[in-house]
Amino acid sequence: MSSGYGDGRLSGGGSQENSGSLGVIAAVLILTFFTFSLRLFQLQIVDGAQLRSRSEQNFVRTVRLEAPRGDIVDREGRILASTRPAYRVQIIPNELHRGDRTFRALSQILGEAPGEISKRVGHPTGRRRFQPVVLRGDLGYERFAQVESHRYALPGVVTNIGPRRHYVEDDLAAHLLGTIGEVGTRQLALPQFSDYIAGEIVGQFGLEAELEAHLRGHAGGRNLVVDVAGREIELLDEIKPIPGGRVVLTLDLDLQRVAEEAFRSSDPEVPDHMGALVAIDPSNGEILALVSLPSYDPNSFAGGIDSKTWDQLISDPWKPLRNRAVSGEYSPGSTYKAVIAAAGLAEEEITQEEEIFCPGYYRMGRRVYRCWKRGGHGDVAMEQALKESCDVYFYNLGVRLGIDRMAHYAKGFGFGRATGINLAAEKAGLIPTMEWKRRVKGEEWIKGETVSAAIGQGYNLVTPIQLAVAYAAIANGGRVLRPQLVKRFETWDREVLKIMIPEERSRVPVSREIIEVVRDALIAVVEGERGTGGRARVPGIIVAGKSGTTQVVSLDLVKNLEPEEIPIGYRDHALFVAFAPAMEPEIVVVALVEHAGKGGGTVAAPIVQKVLARYFEKHPREPAPEPTQVVLVQERLQGHPQGHAQEGRQ
Amino acid sequence: MNIDRRSLQYFDWVFFSIAAILIVFAFVNLTSATNSGVEGGTSDIVRRQGMVVGLCSVVMVIILMIDYRHFERFAFLLYIGSLLLLVATLVIAPETRGARAWLFEGRMQPSELAKITLVLVLARHFHRNPPEANAGLRQLIRPVLIAAPPVGLIIAQKDMGVALLTLLVAMTFLPFVRISLRAWVGIAAAGVGALTALWAYGLRPYQQQRILDFLDPERDPLASGYQAMQSRIAIGAGGMFGRGWMEGTQTQLRFLPTQHTDFIFSVLAEEWGFVGSILMLSLFLSMLLWGLWIASSSKDQFGAMLAVGLVGTLFWPAAINIAMVLGLAPVIGVPLPLFSYGGSAMLSAFISLGLLLNISMRRYLF
Repeated sequence: MSSGYGDGRLSGGGSQENSGSLGVIAAVLILTFFTFSLRLFQLQIVDGAQLRSRSEQNFVRTVRLEAPRGDIVDREGRILASTRPAYRVQIIPNELHRGDRTFRALSQILGEAPGEISKRVGHPTGRRRFQPVVLRGDLGYERFAQVESHRYALPGVVTNIGPRRHYVEDDLAAHLLGTIGEVGTRQLALPQFSDYIAGEIVGQFGLEAELEAHLRGHAGGRNLVVDVAGREIELLDEIKPIPGGRVVLTLDLDLQRVAEEAFRSSDPEVPDHMGALVAIDPSNGEILALVSLPSYDPNSFAGGIDSKTWDQLISDPWKPLRNRAVSGEYSPGSTYKAVIAAAGLAEEEITQEEEIFCPGYYRMGRRVYRCWKRGGHGDVAMEQALKESCDVYFYNLGVRLGIDRMAHYAKGFGFGRATGINLAAEKAGLIPTMEWKRRVKGEEWIKGETVSAAIGQGYNLVTPIQLAVAYAAIANGGRVLRPQLVKRFETWDREVLKIMIPEERSRVPVSREIIEVVRDALIAVVEGERGTGGRARVPGIIVAGKSGTTQVVSLDLVKNLEPEEIPIGYRDHALFVAFAPAMEPEIVVVALVEHAGKGGGTVAAPIVQKVLARYFEKHPREPAPEPTQVVLVQERLQGHPQGHAQEGRQ
Repeated sequence: MNIDRRSLQYFDWVFFSIAAILIVFAFVNLTSATNSGVEGGTSDIVRRQGMVVGLCSVVMVIILMIDYRHFERFAFLLYIGSLLLLVATLVIAPETRGARAWLFEGRMQPSELAKITLVLVLARHFHRNPPEANAGLRQLIRPVLIAAPPVGLIIAQKDMGVALLTLLVAMTFLPFVRISLRAWVGIAAAGVGALTALWAYGLRPYQQQRILDFLDPERDPLASGYQAMQSRIAIGAGGMFGRGWMEGTQTQLRFLPTQHTDFIFSVLAEEWGFVGSILMLSLFLSMLLWGLWIASSSKDQFGAMLAVGLVGTLFWPAAINIAMVLGLAPVIGVPLPLFSYGGSAMLSAFISLGLLLNISMRRYLF
């Protein structure tokens, strides 16, 4: 063997020459590995803690679990606002293998152009490739199911479910329920939003905003281990979200529906009425219906309103977002006369029997103030004056009282200040006094203005809810109540947290006897012959009420025009207020029809009537009592001012 | 085929043991690196690597049985053979990831074998032409001519990492060349010139990008600097004692890029910590130093030169890889010998180990 290696040097490897060079190489190796050790020491020991925490940030992802917003239900537990699952479709760009194919398939299901989808996804780089792009925030269940069943053909497409507000009755009671929306940047700066995060949903208007703290619930969270692609690997821990609380409103969905229906026109040629309606329980101030028309669909706000819908709502001259029932300020018109009558009796400027002659006009200095009835009413006493809404009677009475005394009583019935209903948009209205005019207008009060004020015109402004509260005070014997919207607060699983109790804010400054006189007159308005409120009659029920028609513009503008020729914005508002049963009232209804062009008794009374009829359909009465029984009923009422009425409905 | 009783008697158990421990360590580490299912699935990669190790062991045994001096005779033939493979690769291989470096659908990388045949030929050259004092640059001409074809072909394949590596392996022999200081300066200048030319003409934009990212890691932490950053996080997260085998979050959640190949050391550093990493580095260094001892104790110049070259084939990729993983060098796609997943690199490492054992066990022959 090995004969072929004769030239191999026996002294070879171990030679001195080699060992020097080998030493150099060994030194290089050792130095290199020593450098590595130093670097490892730096990374693992010196920077170790910091780098480890960065590795933890890498893989632990905290996912917020939104708490479903609490339900809002009517007094009988029927859902008005709820939270439903919203199906979301997202794309994770990194997992798209053949984007064009996926987009084409998705476009078929979603009904959107493939290019549109592709544009939305774009070409994200870096870590953003792993971030899902939301294509649809709220897909119908059917389409969602379609996406789900085609998942195998849609790599990179992810679906998930999140809570979303749902207003079951669409635009019904929209103003009352309000809207939700993402918390605004300006809101986030406020202390009450300190625990909100950007993008969180918050009640923006109406009850959604007022009851935010109760409806919101507590968001939970989930710590997930994710891999580099953001895929969930493991659940570390989870804090379950606590759903928001349930709110039982005082609202009666049936009445609300009937009320809104009543504004609709049966004739397709004639547009629906606009306006407001408030139905309130005079025994405790509970709101049974609260309507403002035109309305809008709060569902369009639930997923973030698109700018087109928003612009439409904002630029609509009829201002559909405005809650007319609490923020609409109108002249009370003849509905004010009940208050003036009570004031006259209380101040003893008039008696129930005193007659005033109505020639059809009232002259003050060089000005002539007309009665709505050109021919005049002749001699009228209080009951007839209210029943036929004689203006001249009240011109006289108003002048006797003077503006400040009228204002005193108006305020005593709750006008001129917010009723305290749980809606932030509420306006206070305006009850003018001499001092007010000096302060605000810088002018002295003119006596003629007193004349107008006596029939609810002039500076007087009231909201429909104020009218309801004032007439509820007449109905319940003098108690001015705070209107209640909420019956009780419950947890999401219906454990009762708080039952709202009626709140009497004040008493009217007139005696019960005076109120009874006024009430009897108001009965005559509806039930009496030639009363202006005959159209509010409900069979078997005694109804008390008062009509009102309020000028929107000076009569001079429209005096030569036929009713049909008057521009709609110039036409009179129609008002009607009623309560029933007159002797033991359970419900007060105020209806206001904007620019109706006709009197309150003609347009507004039938609307009120429908609501009353529906109410008594639900809560049937025994046939109208005989007079002797009326006395008995009255006695009982005085004994239990409110208890009976409540029992009757529960 | 002659396994002398004496050569068995002098079998280098120390070197073998160090290598064996490293291989087992590497295997355990790879199992964890592929635990979370890289393409092909966990067990698949580990099983394939197991098969590769088994096959390579067979090759190693065969190499052990052939007296290494036979390789001197066939060195040139093997060299020509590997050049032909490189040419074939250049012609027939499809382009994968921008380079034409793999044959048989990515299963074989001829450049790995070319490194070994280059070492064989260079060892043969220095054996036949022992370095002379004051011979000047002239003595570099033939080694350069020998090294140029494989390096040139690998550059043509656009596999810059391996080209650089092959050049460095060839340069392992430089300490044996007796040239003046002036000549060294000249070589360094030429090297800088070559690197500049490579930067301008040889590197593709993404490769330039990587080097820029290395020089300034904050340039774009989300793009190509991402790999290096995640690697550093993984290593740092290991701390003193590591997160434990199969417990490294960077590894198991695949925040590490190509963690079973180029970034395998990050896996080790994360899960075994400073202690484990230093242990591995020490073993690796011991193995290399033992290789140098084999060179010094070799009975002939060919064996000595061959051993030095083989140590180079193990050292340079390890040095580049670990430097890259530790963020001391730009991201260059060079696998860590014995540790990274991959057949060709494993085979070339086993051939190197086999030849070193071969030289060592025959140190008392003649």
